[in-house]
Amino acid sequence: MAKTFQVDVVSPEATVWSGRATIMIARTPEGELGIMADHEPLMATCATGPIEIEAESGERTTIGVHGGFLQVLDNQVTLITDRAEVAKSHAEAKETAQRLAAEDAEASDDA
Amino acid sequence: MASAQLRDTRRRIRSVEATKKITRAMELIAASRIPKAQARVHASKPYTAKLIEVIENVGAADAGGSHKLLERRDPNRVGLLIVSSDRGLAGAYSSSIIRLSEARAIELEREGKDVVIYAIGKKAQSYFRYRGYHIEQAYLGVTDTPGYGDARAVGNRVMEDYAVGRIDVLEVFYTRFESAMTQVPTHQELLPITPPEMEEEERGVRVSYGFEPSPEEILNRLLPTYVEAIIFNMLLEASASEHNARRRAMKAATDNAEELIKTLTVQANRARQAEITTAITEIVGGAEAMVGS
Repeated sequence: MAKTFQVDVVSPEATVWSGRATIMIARTPEGELGIMADHEPLMATCATGPIEIEAESGERTTIGVHGGFLQVLDNQVTLITDRAEVAKSHAEAKETAQRLAAEDAEASDDA
Repeated sequence: MASAQLRDTRRRIRSVEATKKITRAMELIAASRIPKAQARVHASKPYTAKLIEVIENVGAADAGGSHKLLERRDPNRVGLLIVSSDRGLAGAYSSSIIRLSEARAIELEREGKDVVIYAIGKKAQSYFRYRGYHIEQAYLGVTDTPGYGDARAVGNRVMEDYAVGRIDVLEVFYTRFESAMTQVPTHQELLPITPPEMEEEERGVRVSYGFEPSPEEILNRLLPTYVEAIIFNMLLEASASEHNARRRAMKAATDNAEELIKTLTVQANRARQAEITTAITEIVGGAEAMVGS
């Protein structure tokens, strides 16, 4: 069985996803980033867009994410994001992320 | 016919009953909001904890890094960020946080420093405006259910003012939600950021990260996020405390109304009894007079 690592996706409102995963595909401003167990320590900023996590059980989760940081350290991946929502599909996650970004821009404008 | 006293007492009972209904309703509304507010405080904790962890790690990896939000300056202009409520009827909730912050403001002015106020909630705004303080910015309609966008708006404003030197220090006043029973008015310094302390022996053994983009740039984005997260947390705790304070105040008001109704009912009964006695006496007196004639 493939090695697993701990993933925590946290937003200010909630812990969006937490558990063991075998692979995670995140999105940085530079492009897509695939992470598996024993990845080198990394600190990166996150872009707006979908991320994918394949859980230990083989179940795939897609999350729409807007902004944030990704830390990989000792087989622990922490994704700290302003806004995140679990979506049903890759396409939907893309839309979700864009909607979150738009909502965010709106909220900042109000102020 | 009912006597004037009886009528008055009955009218007062009715009015107290109406008040009781209102305070009871407000109590229930506040009570219904507490669990949600509390859950949100709870839900935001992992985020803040993880964020602090990441900042520690970046700070350790990028030891030489400095940032304008970390720099200490001579505190000549002190910003006070005060979280109160928009509405009253929450007992001492707003007044205790205002008292705490005003004491600090007076102390600062005595030291010859300029005080700049950022008020969250109408209560703090009107109190400090009335007393002639300089209110840089007031945020209204936030405290009931604060969103992350609100925290960001406040955060951006104070960080900008800090960056341009309108304030040299930012102190925050809010009511910490310790538990359902205790909420503590709290005072803490937010800007400049005090970096989370690192143990000396930990410093060396930290792994070197790959950074994407550079450490400076990541820190540049992490620190404002940290400030926002802290403010968000404060707003959530203050909101939970406010709902709690309001529930307690309205419960006390309802209890008082009940007590008052009891007393007034006794009074009304007494008045009614006195009236009946008078009526009987009159009838008996009248009958006897007729028998006598």
